[in-house]
Amino acid sequence: MDNSTKLIDKIKEEQVKPIPRWRFTIKDALIWLIFIFCVLFGALAFSVILFAIQQVDFSLPGHLSHSWFELLLGLVPLFWIFSLIIFLILAIFSIKNSKRGYKFTSPALVGFAAALSILIGTLFFISGGAQWLENAFATKVNIYEGIEERKTQVWSMPEDGFLSGTIISVNDSTFELNDLKGKSWQVIYKGADIVPSVSIIDGEKIKLTGEMASENTFKADKIRPWGGFQRRYHGGRGNN
Amino acid sequence: MIITLESCKGLSDNEIVAKSLENLDYFSCLYQRYEPELMRYIYRIATVDEEEAQDILQESFIKIWRNLNEFDTGMKLSSWLYRIVHNETISHIRKKKSYGKDNTRDVELYRNILADKLDSARESEEKLSDIPQILDQLPLKYKEILVLKFLELKSYEEISDILKIPEGTVAIRINRAKKHFREIFDKTYSQ
Repeated sequence: MDNSTKLIDKIKEEQVKPIPRWRFTIKDALIWLIFIFCVLFGALAFSVILFAIQQVDFSLPGHLSHSWFELLLGLVPLFWIFSLIIFLILAIFSIKNSKRGYKFTSPALVGFAAALSILIGTLFFISGGAQWLENAFATKVNIYEGIEERKTQVWSMPEDGFLSGTIISVNDSTFELNDLKGKSWQVIYKGADIVPSVSIIDGEKIKLTGEMASENTFKADKIRPWGGFQRRYHGGRGNN
Repeated sequence: MIITLESCKGLSDNEIVAKSLENLDYFSCLYQRYEPELMRYIYRIATVDEEEAQDILQESFIKIWRNLNEFDTGMKLSSWLYRIVHNETISHIRKKKSYGKDNTRDVELYRNILADKLDSARESEEKLSDIPQILDQLPLKYKEILVLKFLELKSYEEISDILKIPEGTVAIRINRAKKHFREIFDKTYSQ
């Protein structure tokens, strides 16, 4: 008996059947679904990171003891950075296990997955989705410390030269400011660098850098709107 | 009824796969068509006797049969068969913990890798007869890639499909394997 006959006999005897095609199709589809899911979630994480970056006023920290990178790290919840990394790793792992995934080198796969997440994440950020998502997290997840909350903490350190709050009344060279904890400050703003998007008027919510002159007096160096690059943003917690 | 290789002569690999899925007997054609080269490949990468090699090939073909619907027609069937046989052989090697011995001393492989070190055909024959079993001294990942490239004469694309690594990695690994091979040759020949 030749070997091919032995093989066929064995297959018949053991009743070995080919695995149906639909099972392979489902497996492939699942792998791609996981990839898409991971890229999308990576994109969401990236969009929130972009949103956090937006909240850092890069023109401010030049004269301060804190670099903008420190401020950025203070603002971006690590949760989103870890999420981005984990979803990228999962995306790469899933595509590597696809039918032809082995054709790509690891750097190519990292680049591809990261580029997709960045592109989709940027679009989501531009559409305002990142802020909505971040706010939803901050309001619905108790243990999550939102960007607005972190930002409030960063900008409530008058001893370190960071102050924020709402203008209550304005005089020639000073104005009264209620900080985010409700404490009242006399702010000397004469000679301060004030961007055109800030109006020194009652009700204006601002952030300022400078020096604490006394227990309730602050000499402003730079004054910026509370929102990041924008004059102010709408719908966020604590910015009304 | 077993279908002979002769009766499958005009059929392409993909046609035999399609016919096998309708009628198992056609699967014997596939086995007969690839048995000689796959057996030779098993011998080249593993230390096995004929019976063991046959067992490995049988087990491989049972896996091939079970997964026949997974075969991606975008690649060469031979690459897919090599991949499964390769994996089955490696798993056999790991169980036995013994790698292949280059018993047949494939002169062509040595000639290919050492072309610039062998001055004339006569000299090359002399030197080659002295060369110890260099392949045996290489790590498996280098040995298998040299066997595929210089003995099985597979293209980069085929090797990429068989070993499931990117083509760029195939090129790098072949270069490293050749370097290792030549280093061992130099060390041995200079003594």
